[in-house]
Amino acid sequence: MSHFEVFGLPPSFHLDLDALERRYRELSLELHPDRARGDGAARRAAVERTTALNDAYRVLKDPERRACYLLCLAGVDLEHDERAGSGLPPEFLERILSLHEELDAARRSAALEEVRRMGAEVKAERQALLDQAASALATAPADRAAIDRAAGLLAKVRYFSRFLEEVDQIEEEALE
Amino acid sequence: MSGGLLQIHDPLKPKGSAVGIDLGTTNSLVAAVIQGKPRCLPADEGGEPLLPSVVHYANDGSVLVGRRASALSFAHPTDTIRSVKRFMGKSAGDPETQKLGCYRFAESKSVVRFEVSGGQPVTPIEVSGEILRALKRQAEAYFSGRVEQAVITVPAYFDDAQRQATKDAGRLAGLTVLRLLNEPTAAALAYGLDKGSQGTFAVYDLGGGTFDISILKLLDGIFEVKSTGGDSALGGDDFDRVIAHRVLEALGIGHPSPAQVAEALSAARRAKEELSACELAEVSVSGRARAVARVEFEAWIAPLIQKTGVACKRALKDAGLRPAEIDGVVLVGGSTRVPAVRRFVSSLFGREALRDIDPDQVVALGAAAQADLLTSQERQDEVLLLDVLPLSLGVETMGGLVERLIPRNSTIPTAAAQVFTTFQDGQTGMDVHVVQGEREMVEDCRSLARFRLTGIPPMSAGLGRVEVKYQVDADGILSVAAKELTTGASQEITVRPSHGLSDEEIEQMLLDSIENAEGDVKRRLLREQQVEAERVLKDAGKQLRENADLLSDGERAAIDTAFARLEEERRSATEHLRIQEAIRALDEACRPFVERVMNRALRNAVAGHSVEEY
Repeated sequence: MSHFEVFGLPPSFHLDLDALERRYRELSLELHPDRARGDGAARRAAVERTTALNDAYRVLKDPERRACYLLCLAGVDLEHDERAGSGLPPEFLERILSLHEELDAARRSAALEEVRRMGAEVKAERQALLDQAASALATAPADRAAIDRAAGLLAKVRYFSRFLEEVDQIEEEALE
Repeated sequence: MSGGLLQIHDPLKPKGSAVGIDLGTTNSLVAAVIQGKPRCLPADEGGEPLLPSVVHYANDGSVLVGRRASALSFAHPTDTIRSVKRFMGKSAGDPETQKLGCYRFAESKSVVRFEVSGGQPVTPIEVSGEILRALKRQAEAYFSGRVEQAVITVPAYFDDAQRQATKDAGRLAGLTVLRLLNEPTAAALAYGLDKGSQGTFAVYDLGGGTFDISILKLLDGIFEVKSTGGDSALGGDDFDRVIAHRVLEALGIGHPSPAQVAEALSAARRAKEELSACELAEVSVSGRARAVARVEFEAWIAPLIQKTGVACKRALKDAGLRPAEIDGVVLVGGSTRVPAVRRFVSSLFGREALRDIDPDQVVALGAAAQADLLTSQERQDEVLLLDVLPLSLGVETMGGLVERLIPRNSTIPTAAAQVFTTFQDGQTGMDVHVVQGEREMVEDCRSLARFRLTGIPPMSAGLGRVEVKYQVDADGILSVAAKELTTGASQEITVRPSHGLSDEEIEQMLLDSIENAEGDVKRRLLREQQVEAERVLKDAGKQLRENADLLSDGERAAIDTAFARLEEERRSATEHLRIQEAIRALDEACRPFVERVMNRALRNAVAGHSVEEY
């Protein structure tokens, strides 16, 4: 069962997140092992179905995970297939490299403001790419070129996300 | 993948009463729902609901728990174990064993063991088991009936090893553990059910040895944990240690005896409690006193309190919330009585915290409510708890890096699957190392388990593919299953906990505690090898029957000889090493044969598929 099927939804990037949450809560009440009656088999089935529900919710409520999952359904696995999303322009990769170098420098000199500024900038850029990927995915199922476009955009998004994780890490270290 | 490997309790028929137990660092409590309301039961002499989590081992082998044990801690500091919770699931070399304390630790490669009077060294699981057994007895006396089922609370921030250890302690005490419930969740449950509240709450739980922060959303009967964080080695005990340390220093006692340490810690604890109400308290050791002012105490513990703030901010961020979006803050744990702690929490969240329910009792009351929910049919539809995994789960990859499989704060039960590919020609096995934690390097995370995937059919590098599935159940405990994707053969994996006791060790402790039998290690090893030999003989016999055509007469004769020798040793050997050696010899004799069998299985699996499919 696909993550969308778990929720009885057609595969689509555009979701009503409030409705998704409501449905998640209803399904939890229905499926959770704490509510299972009967024998071991019934409980095991409840654990499996709740696991599938929780995993589906985790993916669908997050725009990046949702977009990557839609790509997966279209046959492009950015996470596990090394070749998927390759062919990013060298300028982009150079840019990522220098961003990381700048971040390292800021970390070493404990320039927290600089780290935050870079974080905010990359976040905005990542959002713009994600929006573009979303509109590419809206037409994707029938259109191979659109899938490839979305894959290229999301591959970039993933680079930015990894960068932002590092920013988070630095901010957390600064708290300590 | 089959669900056959999930470790799940069978549904439990109601038998006797189900209780909630707060197995605390300093005090433990037992509670039950009586006439629709959770109540704490008498747990120690004189009907006290608080049972000090102190266990004394006497010379004659008898065991005391609670106040009577506590009273003996000066005279017998090393035989009286306090705050054992801090050692749960810890390895012998853990920093916790290096802190100011008065215990003697037995030499051990794996788990912590305390040297005590009257018998063998005891593990933290056994010590906790004694506390649980005492609570069980008290509850049985209260109900005049059997109590066999319990919900036991654990700090939300406990990792897999600590949870497993707690569950094992319950088993040792003869309890069926219905659920390990996170302490802040239990507290929220007690508040939510009591007040019928709705909204988003932060539960700040500072106990004797652990700190937890949880952000929960209460809506329409669902208690959904949004995020959780904390420090499983930070609590009121550390406040005591700071005081004791400073006072011993001030009194010029550079190398205190175990008795002096025990005295200083106890006096420090009293002083800390006094300082919640007074400006000045006195700590005396060996007849010499040192005054401690509240401002001084607050300056000493300020770094510890600051540490809790980091965890709070992180939990808010993980929940995607700002402090202003929190509808209420609940204080739990005896250490929240310290005024400096309360001031800190108020300023952090910008509001006064709730303390309507006794912070010592609230966790046990919530656990009792959950035990009731899980056992009584009619209340099932009212409330559901959705809890999370406290720490990210990952595996070691090349270069000692961690590949994250399940991020922290994922709602449980949850699972992740991962495909491993062989990297050498003919590779038949693969090592997997599971860790828990947020850091990038394996060495900075908690090692949970190591296991070896075996029985991969020999193939060219990159062709062998094994899918490993990690399942985290509703207790936050991990189990693992694997499947070879080329042949479809599924495999059971014995996950060997990196710090902890094996199932065999637990079984043995159960036997020991039930029959008080002499722990005959030799007999056990022999029995284990006999069982292993039976398994090997059965497997080999089956393969020989089914694939006899793959062997030449000479090879067959060699295998038959080794086979007969193992049969003989299994029956008559009195030394486990002899059986072990015979198993090894049979394995050796079978090796070329096993490879041929694997190849045949692989060919059979591939047959029926066209080449294009690969």
